[in-house]
Amino acid sequence: MDDKRSELKKIIMDTKTLPTLPGVINKLNMLSENEKSSVQEMAKIVSSDSVLSARILRLANSPSYGFYRVSTISNAMILLGVNVVKSLALSSSIFEIMEKNSVGLWEHSLAVGVASNIIARKLALSECEEIATAGLLHDIGKVIISLKCSEAETAILAAIREQEIYMREAEQLVLDTDHAEVGAWLSKSWFLPDKLSEPISFHHNVIQSDTHRVKTSVVHIADIIIKASGFGNSGDIFVPKIQQAAWDCLKLSQELLAEMVEDIEDKLIEVKNFSLEIQA
Amino acid sequence: MAQSVRISLVSSDDELSTRIQLRLQSRDYQATITSCLDSVVGNFYSDPPDLLIIDLSENPAACIAIINTLRSDSFFSVIPIIGLVGSAECSLLQWDDCPLDDFVHLPLNFDELFCRISLSLSRLKRIFDNNPLTRLPGNTSIQRAIEDAIGKDLAVCYVDINHFKPYNDIYGFSHGDEVIRMLSRIMFNAVRDSGGGFCGHIGGDDFVCMVPLAQAESVCRTIIAHFDRIVLDLYDEETKLQGYYDGTNRKGEKEQIPLLSISVAVVPMDSPKIRHYAKVAEVAAEMKKLAKESKGSCYVMDSRKA
Repeated sequence: MDDKRSELKKIIMDTKTLPTLPGVINKLNMLSENEKSSVQEMAKIVSSDSVLSARILRLANSPSYGFYRVSTISNAMILLGVNVVKSLALSSSIFEIMEKNSVGLWEHSLAVGVASNIIARKLALSECEEIATAGLLHDIGKVIISLKCSEAETAILAAIREQEIYMREAEQLVLDTDHAEVGAWLSKSWFLPDKLSEPISFHHNVIQSDTHRVKTSVVHIADIIIKASGFGNSGDIFVPKIQQAAWDCLKLSQELLAEMVEDIEDKLIEVKNFSLEIQA
Repeated sequence: MAQSVRISLVSSDDELSTRIQLRLQSRDYQATITSCLDSVVGNFYSDPPDLLIIDLSENPAACIAIINTLRSDSFFSVIPIIGLVGSAECSLLQWDDCPLDDFVHLPLNFDELFCRISLSLSRLKRIFDNNPLTRLPGNTSIQRAIEDAIGKDLAVCYVDINHFKPYNDIYGFSHGDEVIRMLSRIMFNAVRDSGGGFCGHIGGDDFVCMVPLAQAESVCRTIIAHFDRIVLDLYDEETKLQGYYDGTNRKGEKEQIPLLSISVAVVPMDSPKIRHYAKVAEVAAEMKKLAKESKGSCYVMDSRKA
């Protein structure tokens, strides 16, 4: 069993890039042909896509550039420059195109990013943009599992249906690890700052998050609200419970949660339209 | 040398590139191959090599376009590029449009290639006045650029960081260096996105950029907005909220040190009083004094007519 884990870990350490939705690449292609396209327009498209965002943050935080605390896309774009971001995005389009059935996970990630932002603002937390980025990236481990272990993925999906368990439990059964740990490995090898790697690693286990528990809690709640809303497809067929640690950490109440859910539901209509536009 | 030199090979001729790769590896170079031209720039940016070898025999126009793209960002322009060209094509190349550092004829003489590689790497150490930290051009290039600009519709902007010394003292040199590199990227990208110009690093926390006069104010505003934003990543929550930290000032007294900000002095080069390089620096110093009087980041442009 241990072999499988270390083998997967090695694969992840060697991973330099991951596939992206063709629609995202096309949109960026169109923007880059237009000389006048602004940083903001590009940032909006980039920050809808977890894989592209992770790649850009990796580059900004890598020793080649050496900016070790960049945790938002807009800051990464300021430092790297539009040209670098464009080339990086476009270079991913050529060989690696994500399959159509990944759209569900893509939508889930986008929506959790958006929901994390809404929750962070509602609670008047600092670093809302960082929290939104963490939400966007929280399931990056699933992208890797789906890409690098496609056989295992089939077994995982079967286990979820047949045994009626959560995806992480199924991943543990099949791979002896789960997408949170896989995401943690990737965060480390891609130089992502703690602000992002902690929520990625512990969004299913808030109590283990020490330094950035507030951020992790927001992502945890956002993930569950989006799962409950039925938006996108995270892979889970059941909605998990909100963990007490997250509830306490954010000092939530029933009323507050109800308001958040309502704000998020409203925003999801916009997110759906954006997603359809990307896929068009 | 602790780490071996990393060489990136670009060629659509798989047999040739594999052969070169083997020979390079036998000499303790690390060599990676890119055979698809579309991914060269992306690969280069995401993992910049120490030296690039590009085969121009198959698709010279596309390769030259790639070389020009790589050269256009000063951050990468120091990386040597060696072209592989057939002897017949060689005389047809317009060297001004094809900014290679060196070339080797095809069919390849490997001994020559190895010499060219060593030469390119050693030349790097010798001729560059680029600042090693930011890789922006240094004082010789700055002086030349400013002298060329005198009398033209251009503006020279002198940028420096306020309260940089106490930041360095408290947070350490490596963090200080990071701030310097951040400012250099912010300036470089702002100038580039405005349509182009010149960026140089005088030394320490002093920078210069030059853009068309009509763009000067908007470039200054972009640089200031981006710096003020990025700087927030450098402090913890508490410091950000209160807007200062405790430190020692230049006189050695305890003081509340404000967060980092920048001052920009803008000198229009079309003014009749600007006749030589020293005068530019003198006017800039006056403007800088004014800029430093305000709290936080700001720019001051010399608009006096005489």
